[in-house]
Amino acid sequence: MANTLRLYLTCIRNTLEAAMCLQNFPCQEVERHNKPEVELKTSPELLLNPVLICRNEAEKCLIETSINSLRISLKVKQADELENILTKKFLRFLSMRAEAFQVLRRKPVQGYDISFLITNYHYEDMQKHKLIDFIVQFMEDIEKEISELKMSVNTRGRLVATEFLKQFI
Amino acid sequence: MAATGGFVETDNAEAIITRIEHKSRKIESLLKQSKPVEALKTALEGSPPMTRDERCKSANWIVVHRAIMAIKDVDGLLSSLDAEYYDILMKYLYRGLSTGDRPTCDQCLRIHEKLTERAGLGCILRSLADTVNAV
Repeated sequence: MANTLRLYLTCIRNTLEAAMCLQNFPCQEVERHNKPEVELKTSPELLLNPVLICRNEAEKCLIETSINSLRISLKVKQADELENILTKKFLRFLSMRAEAFQVLRRKPVQGYDISFLITNYHYEDMQKHKLIDFIVQFMEDIEKEISELKMSVNTRGRLVATEFLKQFI
Repeated sequence: MAATGGFVETDNAEAIITRIEHKSRKIESLLKQSKPVEALKTALEGSPPMTRDERCKSANWIVVHRAIMAIKDVDGLLSSLDAEYYDILMKYLYRGLSTGDRPTCDQCLRIHEKLTERAGLGCILRSLADTVNAV
């Protein structure tokens, strides 16, 4: 199990290293505009093939590149209803504070839990391998965070129930 | 140019599918003789290059998928495979990873890691950038 996680993250890391080749490219249609081409998808010559990397039926990662931007969408494993709710709330919390993260997208792409948008400006300010480390680290930590949250919810529920039912003993 | 290309394709679609069926029979026999490396080479060899026809691509994918799942020794495979097949194999690996089926993805992830070590990031980039010969 840990082995497939390692292979999955290695595959994503290698693909990101190859796909992250961004440069400044002003908009072709409108003067003086500079838009992330991966979001608009107006010109097919500016886009590369999107790549979908699945670990299993539940977890996948979609990487779409264009000449000046790169979009990474993740779907996180959700084993039961509780994890479903926790993931949704936690990732919504992060997405709402996307300004602080800079590379995070405010709304995830349809069908996924969270999305990153990396533009050439981020690429100029920050180092490539650090960006990739951030994304891979994020994927590792998400799982730990969700299981911690789940455990704390269960523990609290148990404590509250014990206290409440003591009065009926 | 595109029109004549289209004409040639519709003509050849049936021919290509028959060729793929021949190939799959050959591969089945190679797999029975436990020669998975040869089987994969045969599968990758006749990859229809300029076909737009989805059926040909799917038919070829099924054949390659069969060969990929039969591979047990990844290092041996990569040392005996010629460099010209690395790019095509990488494209098929990404197609396998997009299926989401657990054993396929496990196998493809394993081969992907070793292939990247061997062929480098250029191989990945060529499979991303090649919008014409998509597999």
